[in-house]
Amino acid sequence: MKTKTIECKNLKKWEKTLASCIRCGYCFEHCPISKYTRWESDTPRAKIIMAHGLVSGSLEPSDYIAEKLFSCFFCKRCETACSSGVSLTDIFIDARKDLIEAGFNITGTTTLTRPDCVLCLACVRECPHEARLLVDNKIITDPVICQACGRCVEVCPTGAALNGLDFGTSKQALQHETMEYLQKSKKSKAIVFACNWSYFPDLQSSIQVAADNKTYKIIVNMCGNRLEKETLIEAFLNNASGVLVACCPDGDCEHNGNEKAKSNVQYVKNLLQSINMDPETIHLVQIEHGDKSGFQMEIDTFMEKISGNK
Amino acid sequence: MKKSDLEKLKSIVGENNVKSDPADLYIYGSDSSVHNALPWVIVRPENTEHVQKIVKFANKNKIPIIPRGGGSGMCGQTVPIHGGITLDMKLMNRILEINMPDVYCRVEPGVVDDDLNMALKPHGVFFPPTPASSRIATIGGEIGNNASGVRSVKYGATRDAVLGMKVVMANGDLVDFGAHTRVEASGYQMHKLIVGSEGTLGIVVEATLKFVPIPEFRCLGIANFDSIKDAGEAVGEIMASGANPSMLELVDSIAIKAVNKTMDLGLAEVDAALLYEADGMVVEAVDYEINKMQKICKKHNGKDLKASYDPDERAKIFMGRKKLFPALSKYDEALSSTSLADDMAVPYSKMADMAEKIHAVAKKNNIVMTAYGHCGSGCMHTKILMDTNRKDQWASAKKAITEIYEYVRSVNGTTSAEHGIGLSKAESFKIEKANSLDTLKAIKKALDPNNILNPGKMMQAPEDWVTATDLRYSVNS
Ligand SMILES: Cc1cc2nc3c(=O)[nH]c(=O)nc-3n(C[C@H](O)[C@H](O)[C@H](O)COP(=O)(O)OP(=O)(O)OC[C@H]3O[C@@H](n4cnc5c(N)ncnc54)[C@H](O)[C@@H]3O)c2cc1C
Repeated sequence: MKTKTIECKNLKKWEKTLASCIRCGYCFEHCPISKYTRWESDTPRAKIIMAHGLVSGSLEPSDYIAEKLFSCFFCKRCETACSSGVSLTDIFIDARKDLIEAGFNITGTTTLTRPDCVLCLACVRECPHEARLLVDNKIITDPVICQACGRCVEVCPTGAALNGLDFGTSKQALQHETMEYLQKSKKSKAIVFACNWSYFPDLQSSIQVAADNKTYKIIVNMCGNRLEKETLIEAFLNNASGVLVACCPDGDCEHNGNEKAKSNVQYVKNLLQSINMDPETIHLVQIEHGDKSGFQMEIDTFMEKISGNK
Repeated sequence: MKKSDLEKLKSIVGENNVKSDPADLYIYGSDSSVHNALPWVIVRPENTEHVQKIVKFANKNKIPIIPRGGGSGMCGQTVPIHGGITLDMKLMNRILEINMPDVYCRVEPGVVDDDLNMALKPHGVFFPPTPASSRIATIGGEIGNNASGVRSVKYGATRDAVLGMKVVMANGDLVDFGAHTRVEASGYQMHKLIVGSEGTLGIVVEATLKFVPIPEFRCLGIANFDSIKDAGEAVGEIMASGANPSMLELVDSIAIKAVNKTMDLGLAEVDAALLYEADGMVVEAVDYEINKMQKICKKHNGKDLKASYDPDERAKIFMGRKKLFPALSKYDEALSSTSLADDMAVPYSKMADMAEKIHAVAKKNNIVMTAYGHCGSGCMHTKILMDTNRKDQWASAKKAITEIYEYVRSVNGTTSAEHGIGLSKAESFKIEKANSLDTLKAIKKALDPNNILNPGKMMQAPEDWVTATDLRYSVNS
């Protein structure tokens, strides 16, 4: 099954690791991208299979493959879940390097810059990963190291910094999901925004049709950086009984998304107070990575509190 | 696949539910086994009507169709050896009903086992077959393989938990098998036949499953043994004594070494260890079972016995078993852990011999093999650790597997305990079932005359699994 190969200078060193992935698929339930598209081709396991295909020469490199390998939010939940201890994101990064060397120029989840950028360099200063660079009088993103946290998009004063593929985590997509849920429910319900590091305690891949008497919905916003004030306000405009925002503990967020979440939650709290609404109906919790039961407890406490407030 | 066929499939399920990029075909061409073969297209049905239309189309055009859940099968069950349509069932993922008064639930086949158990938990009940892969295994896949797990020794395998199902047959007809009742003597019990049929007889579109109460008390214990023979004999006596463990697991010295080497668990480096669990609603009853099992372990020279009800302690005791897979993967930098001769069952009295046989065969063939498993159910697992780049290691693995299975059959064991046959275990399966193969073939022919449903598997699979498909590893000559 040999076809054309790329020179896998960087991937080559992972050959043994790629073989030792036992393909158990334990990573499926953790990946926000494959959970969004619901295709096996978007799972971390599929990325490993593609990397193996490239190294072994069984797969010809293509834009399609590159787009998949350039799409990752680096939450690393796949690595934590991996039954064989494979360093998945390091492999993805090396695959990106090889694909770039082979001439592929693909966006994936990498952030973009519109031509009307005024070169204020706010994004360059702000990027926690040093992925935003000023090159030849243009701002570019290094696609190998960009983790798609959206910090640059947040700080850009002109809206010239844009998210790449967002897999349901753009402002529009989050607002749409929020509205759809709230407008469908007859009773007022709550929204729980969870960053993907929080290991949200809910069904991972299935839907419960009957007897779904839950009074809230968990929506994954990837990182606090992606949660705009407007999204939070939109929930209240659609009669939400409350909004709980979960993000990482202080110092744990690699992209300072928790700081942004905190300030936005405070903003909405003040706003609610200023219009005589209960500020306690929006609340922020900081969840240790992987603390599923702690998260559930926070949800239960919040739900009890807002139902008592009524 | 013809362009017009592709268009037809798109017209049934919509453009977004069809994929045929070479990368997609490559990804869906493998599972957790050693095999790789490409489908022609991947199609995702969203409902029963989609499944019926796809199957009718495939049947008319004699196109192979391979249902696929999580793709975590270890024997190549979902590897499309003759190409065709891979039917990704994961979008049919709704838990339709949890019926407490009648003690059953109805689910679509793409529901993941862990999710079902999470939905059942608030009702105080659980679906017990639960394989180790429960975070990815779908109910459809568990039915396909008749999956079971650590607690099957007490609660049974998937076949025991299935009351009924809706199935799309090879001609596209939708039929109901089984019932929503606990017992049924009305005819052939076709739902039980579909369980374990590896997608070769029909496509399950809904399953009715029973569940059981979550026990109030669980106690897990461990016993170390200086000889695996002693541990095996203890298993035999525990099961013959009428004890009712909710788990009885064996791990051998290689498994213990692997865990110690890769994790700082400080397990005693003994020849074998047994993990035993009892559960129930009354603590005295659980104590009774644990004491009974410990007494038997002691009689067979078991040492370092301890047992605990505390969830943290239990997690600690179970950690070695739980972390076995990553440990085996990292056992030796040069070796990969392959899913070969991965599961078999032997009578209890042969458990000890079986484990010893595995070690002897591995040594003789210059590969590393480990023995572990749900031995309370008679189930033994192994993994072959080898340098997958080396062709000679594949030849050694093949020889070793043949020898292992010759032994299994010689003691009236069976080729698969829970992972199924697929491609990798066809050789032994065909020998084991030699005098019933014609019956099996007749059933397949009657239900799927055009041989479109997962063709080339089980009795139809080539004997030589090494050359049956490409191997998913890079093998140098
Ligand atoms: C790390 C690891 C641990 C494992 N541990 C266990 C264990 O403890 N016990 C155990 O039994 N197995 C175990 N397995 C094997 C496997 O995970 C299970 O058998 C599981 O039930 C397969 O589920 P799946 O959804 O991945 O099925 P798949 O692999 O996708 O399919 C399995 C079979 O079912 C058929 N199938 C799927 N959906 C349907 C449908 N809707 N209608 C008809 N046929 C269908 C397929 O065609 C195939 O033949 C393990 C695997 C791994 C990787």
